[in-house]
Amino acid sequence: MTEAVMVPMEHGLALAAILFSIGLIGVMVRRNIILILMSIEVMLNACGLAFIVAGARWGAADGQIMFMIILTIAAAEVSVGLGLLLQVHRRLRTIDIDSASRLQG
Amino acid sequence: MSGLQLQALLPIITLSSLILIQMMFIAFARNLRLTVSISVIALLLTALSFFPMVDHLPISATPLIQLDGFALFYSGLVLLGALMVTFLSYDYLRDQGERQDEFFMLLLLSCLGALILVSSNHFASFILGLELLGVSLYTMMSYPTRGLFTLEAALKYLILSGVSSAFILFGAALIYAIEGKLGFTELAGMNHTSAASGQFILLMGSTMIFAGIMFKLSLAPFHLWTPDVYDGAPAPVTAFLATVSKGAIFALALRLFTTTGLIDLDPLLRGLSFVAMVSILAGNLLALLQDNVKRILAYSSIAHMGYLAVAFVVAGKAGGQIMAMEAASYFLFAYFLTTLLAFSVVTIMSIADHEVDTTNLGDYEGLFWRRPALAAVFTATLLSLAGIPLTAGFIGKFYIFSIGVAAEAWLLMAFVVIGSGIGIFYYLRIIFAMTKAPRTDVKIEIPTASGWVAVVLTVSLVLFGVYPSPIIDLIGELMISFG
Amino acid sequence: MYDLIWLLPILPLLSFCILFATGGNLAPRWVTMLGVGSIGIAALIVGVIAWFWLTTGMREPYLYSLGPWMNVAGFTPTFGFYLDGLSLTMLMVVTGVGFLIHVYSSLFMADDLDFSRFFAYMNLFVSAMLVLVLADNLLLLYLGWEGVGLCSYLLVGFWHAKPANGAAARKAFIITRIGDTAMALGLFLLFMHLGTLEIQPMLATASATWQTGDSIPTIAALLLLGGAVGKSAQLPLQTWLPDAMAGPTPVSALIHAATMVTAGVYLIARTHELYLLAPMAQATVAIVGVATLLIAAFTALAQHDIKRILAYSTISQIGYMFLALGVGAWSSAIFHLMTHAFFKALLFLGAGAVIFSLHHEHDIFKMGGLRKKLPVAFWSFLIGSAALTALPFTSGFYSKDAILLAAFEHNPWLYAGGLLGALLTAIYSFRLVFLVFFGDVKTEPSAPAGPRMAVPLIILCFFSVVGGWIHIPVDEVFPVVAGPSHEGPVALITPLIPIVGVLLAYFLFLRRSLDFSGFFGSGLGRNLKAFFFSHWGMDWLYDKVFVVPYTAVARLNQSDAVDLVYEGVANLTSIFHSLIAFTQTGQLRWYAATMVAGLVLLIAIVMGIV
Repeated sequence: MTEAVMVPMEHGLALAAILFSIGLIGVMVRRNIILILMSIEVMLNACGLAFIVAGARWGAADGQIMFMIILTIAAAEVSVGLGLLLQVHRRLRTIDIDSASRLQG
Repeated sequence: MSGLQLQALLPIITLSSLILIQMMFIAFARNLRLTVSISVIALLLTALSFFPMVDHLPISATPLIQLDGFALFYSGLVLLGALMVTFLSYDYLRDQGERQDEFFMLLLLSCLGALILVSSNHFASFILGLELLGVSLYTMMSYPTRGLFTLEAALKYLILSGVSSAFILFGAALIYAIEGKLGFTELAGMNHTSAASGQFILLMGSTMIFAGIMFKLSLAPFHLWTPDVYDGAPAPVTAFLATVSKGAIFALALRLFTTTGLIDLDPLLRGLSFVAMVSILAGNLLALLQDNVKRILAYSSIAHMGYLAVAFVVAGKAGGQIMAMEAASYFLFAYFLTTLLAFSVVTIMSIADHEVDTTNLGDYEGLFWRRPALAAVFTATLLSLAGIPLTAGFIGKFYIFSIGVAAEAWLLMAFVVIGSGIGIFYYLRIIFAMTKAPRTDVKIEIPTASGWVAVVLTVSLVLFGVYPSPIIDLIGELMISFG
Repeated sequence: MYDLIWLLPILPLLSFCILFATGGNLAPRWVTMLGVGSIGIAALIVGVIAWFWLTTGMREPYLYSLGPWMNVAGFTPTFGFYLDGLSLTMLMVVTGVGFLIHVYSSLFMADDLDFSRFFAYMNLFVSAMLVLVLADNLLLLYLGWEGVGLCSYLLVGFWHAKPANGAAARKAFIITRIGDTAMALGLFLLFMHLGTLEIQPMLATASATWQTGDSIPTIAALLLLGGAVGKSAQLPLQTWLPDAMAGPTPVSALIHAATMVTAGVYLIARTHELYLLAPMAQATVAIVGVATLLIAAFTALAQHDIKRILAYSTISQIGYMFLALGVGAWSSAIFHLMTHAFFKALLFLGAGAVIFSLHHEHDIFKMGGLRKKLPVAFWSFLIGSAALTALPFTSGFYSKDAILLAAFEHNPWLYAGGLLGALLTAIYSFRLVFLVFFGDVKTEPSAPAGPRMAVPLIILCFFSVVGGWIHIPVDEVFPVVAGPSHEGPVALITPLIPIVGVLLAYFLFLRRSLDFSGFFGSGLGRNLKAFFFSHWGMDWLYDKVFVVPYTAVARLNQSDAVDLVYEGVANLTSIFHSLIAFTQTGQLRWYAATMVAGLVLLIAIVMGIV
């Protein structure tokens, strides 16, 4: 491996942080539940990326294993989310998250 | 892996295999009574499987799991909570239609997640336990088809919890990037990085993990979800969320921050003090004029988590660690008893109603005349929450006071005092409502299982409030084999 | 053997729990079995323990440890039951006399609708009293102390349908609370300086660290004395006891004569090492005793109500015990406590028998000539009064004689006060006997009470006579005092005075050959009589000094300026509530946004930017 191919860790982390922020902003501004779930997915994958970058620095497999775990978790989380989404759609005929704000006060 | 280490995994193996067995039964011989019986057996067997190890603590089984007295105590609490919630759920779901069996499997899965959390010693097992606990919990919340509120609560919790998990994961990744380790024990004393940028990333990562955990514990300013989710979720699930889930995460947090030495970082302690004070104030103020019993309990739990955070802060001060862990553990024990009891009352009140839970303060008016025993139990709970003597809650709060005073954390103590003062107001409001003239005289049926849960919890509440020595000694003994 | 003592408080407590839980649904027969039986078994256990104690040489103090109560942040009070000669004597009194009174009550209260509630409270009382007596720790003692106070409140107001009874109960509770507050302060002080409240180690440390006459032990002893005067109805907190007679007569006998009111005496005797370190406090005890015994004796002379006479006499007799404590005659105080328990319980139960047969008539001027009609009550009264008066060879004679002689050794003025008290005691007790049992029949009694009331009376009669020969086993507990010399004129005058008193009463109230009606008809005499009748105007004085100013201040503050502060705080918190309640919008996107904002804020705090 030549010097030129090496990406400094900080750059990788910065990329992950940017992705993470994009996901976070998505959760905050989106009203469509599907898009919110996608934003969460983006956030989780940003974490995965950060782990891969960190793993590359230490030359250990830990980071990649963590990434696998994150993938699994994200899948589980989103599948449950989609199940709920179907229910919401069936009951409310909409997938706008603002319609689900009856609990308050 | 030695035999001993294998033995340390026995509780997890036991519970997992019984979940599989239960799944088989649900698939081929669906019967609610049978399912619940398997649940109860599974929880009891899991509890039993801890006993052979008692003399060999602490055991590290793989780098992921650390079984010590601390883990044992919290596992006991988790199993106790899960058992009580199982009974409550049985009464709650029995008459709600046919297919309720999977709920109990989810409950066991969630419990498995909590068990992994309390003994986890590594970020991987931390994340796994956390998500196993969380994902099963979202499903449990939306499982009973009771109106729209359950759905809304589940959805809100799922999305926000997902965000908080992402916080934790990103924080862990940052720490890993600097230190190159993921095990808590290996991370001990990690604040020695000299490079300024390393220090920055490290603090950033710790703070993110902190924020994620605070969300799960519903500490301010990450508390806004709490009342909505408490209110919308079915009462037994709220009980589970409030006790097992929060208790397990608290245990994990305590282990994470003490073993890794993060607790010694002054900047983090500063943040934690802030969070504790804001939580105590916000929780108590928000509960003040609330008319929904479940929401009052939600806000009160925010305040209680604030009191617990005080113990955390004190643990960071020199020499206060063992004391603070004892205090926190007793406080959490009392909180478990009290909260479970409060929600068992709410459950009993709600069983007859198939649409939404009975949570309006007005529905509790005249309870003293309609069902004196139930009202007396609820009164005991509320007094315990308020920290009135002769209840377990008093001893818990007394503990917090003692360590706070010993550590000379006067500002925090001032908040605890003010918070407790405000707290008495809204707890007494419920009690006064119960003494008013009843609006209806519809008979409240007390189902057997929930009734017994309430009796057992009430007796323990008073017993350990009057004579706390056994639990305190137990905690003291178990904490010795910490780490 | 001695470890059986843990059972003593548990048995009555268990019985209380059962009676309380069944809530009056139990048949009276079972209530009697439980209520009386539990005390009976306790008495039996005490009997066996006492037998062992007295016959074998095993007289080492015995500690039955209950283990630590809690271990919170270095605060580890350990509780235990402590058995020594002193607590054994008290145990015998509490369970023995208590048992007899319970037997008596089973008939006396038989027609009461709240039979079960009565026994529940009585059992709870005995349990609390036993905790008080057995406690090895002042904290545990305080628990029993408050427990008996609570039971006293509940039992004085037992017939709560009548508002006056409720008022009496509240008065008893509140006035003793003043003393209890002082006592609590004393406990704090002791704990602060000695670091423990376990009585024996605490006293040992006290003796080791403090010199005689130091200010801290003096203050502590005075504060404990405050608790003792409240509970034992001594000056200046004695006014509650006469009103407490509103309770059923067995309650008066058990709580307000034999046991609870002597708790103050027990407390001082238990902590006597502390008083030895504080001669000033001990002298105060003596002065309080003498003043109380005189004032109460004068008051008893003027009363009409049979139970109030006995109440004032109780105050006066406890004054003797305080006098004994004050002059260092510790064992005489406990001795008098025991004999007093016998004869005063006897008198109260006898009075109960009279009241029972006269359909709840209390006024002695409406009684008379009951000697023939109620022989058991008559003999009880005669023997009880003889013992109370300390006529020779009765139990009261031995105990009071010892106290007076010890007082003489100490200070002749104290002795003179005690002697005057003895004279008055003789006059008022035999005034009672002569007015009630001799002369013309004024109210026709119904049939005398049955054996369940008669037998306890007879047994108490026996003890009132021979109680003086009992040697209480407290020699190891108290420092040995040189026995007072029984020589000279003092030894002769002391037993003579009561006899003079009886003769005076005879001429005054039976033969009526001495007639002071002229004097008492005059303005001065009438006023004096009214003054005595009103208990030296104590209640009036307290009313003027405390109650009237208090109500005046309360009236002045009708709009409640003080409360404005609290209302302000309450309003402020409500405003805060509505301010932050806005954050609970229910909007998920807002919640997510606050999480992010919270994270940013937290990072800012951690990084030290804010």
